[in-house]
Amino acid sequence: MPGTLTPTRKGARQADQQTRPEVDRPWVTIVWNDPINLMSYVTHVFMTVFGYPKAKAEKLMLDVHHRGRAVVSSGTRERMELDVNTLHGYGLWATLQQDS
Amino acid sequence: MLSTVFTELADALEADALPATDPVRQRLFPAGYRDDAAAATEFRDLTESSLRSERTERARRCVVEVAQDADEAAARGVDLHLDADGGTRWITALNDVRLVLGTRLGITEDEMGDVDDESDPPHAQQRALYFWLTTLQDSLVQALMP
Repeated sequence: MPGTLTPTRKGARQADQQTRPEVDRPWVTIVWNDPINLMSYVTHVFMTVFGYPKAKAEKLMLDVHHRGRAVVSSGTRERMELDVNTLHGYGLWATLQQDS
Repeated sequence: MLSTVFTELADALEADALPATDPVRQRLFPAGYRDDAAAATEFRDLTESSLRSERTERARRCVVEVAQDADEAAARGVDLHLDADGGTRWITALNDVRLVLGTRLGITEDEMGDVDDESDPPHAQQRALYFWLTTLQDSLVQALMP
C-alpha cells in the first residue's frame, strides 16, 4: 500500500507487454485547475519546483487552465508523493495516481 | 494591512483551528489521491503537519519583514527589498492568504473584481482586499520572472 511500491526494474518489462504488470506502470503527478491560483504564479511554481524552462512551464500551465488538468511529472510513487507534497506547499491542487 | 492578513493566516493555521471538513483547510491541505480515500488519509497524516509549519513560518517571516520596514520608513510606506528567495517566499505567502480569503468568498474562475459590491456589503471590503492581493502577487511574480 502507500509508500511501498517496488521500484520498477527494466528486466520485469520483458514478461508480457499485454498484461503490463502493475509495477511497470509509472506514477504521475497531476495538477488540477482552480479559480484562485494565478496563471503567472502557476508558471513560476513549475519553473521553481521542476526547473522547467519558461516555455515548458507555460505550456503546462495553459494545459491546466484550458483542459482542467495536466501531468507535470512522472516516476516512482515515492517521488510523486514528494512532488505532490511540494506542490501542496505552494498551494497548487495536485494529486498522484498510477498512469493508465 | 499586510501585517494583519499574515497574522490572520497564521491564526487560521494553528492546529485544530479549523475542522477537517472546513473548505479552507481542505484547500490548504488538499487530498493527494483523488480516487483512493485510504491512501489520501495516509498521505495527509504524513504531510499536513509539516505543511502547516512551513506555512506558519512563511507568514511569520513576512510579518517580521513588514514590521521592520515599518520601523525604518514609516513615512514612506512599504518599501521591501527582496532577493529571489525572499520574493518567492512573499508570493507564496500571498498565495496562502489568497487561498484562505478566496475560498471563504467563494471566488470563481472568471471573477475579475467587478462585482456589485452593494448587493453584498458584508463582504465588499474582503473582496476588495482579495483583488488587491491578487494584483500585488501578480506584479511580484512578473518581477521575478526571467
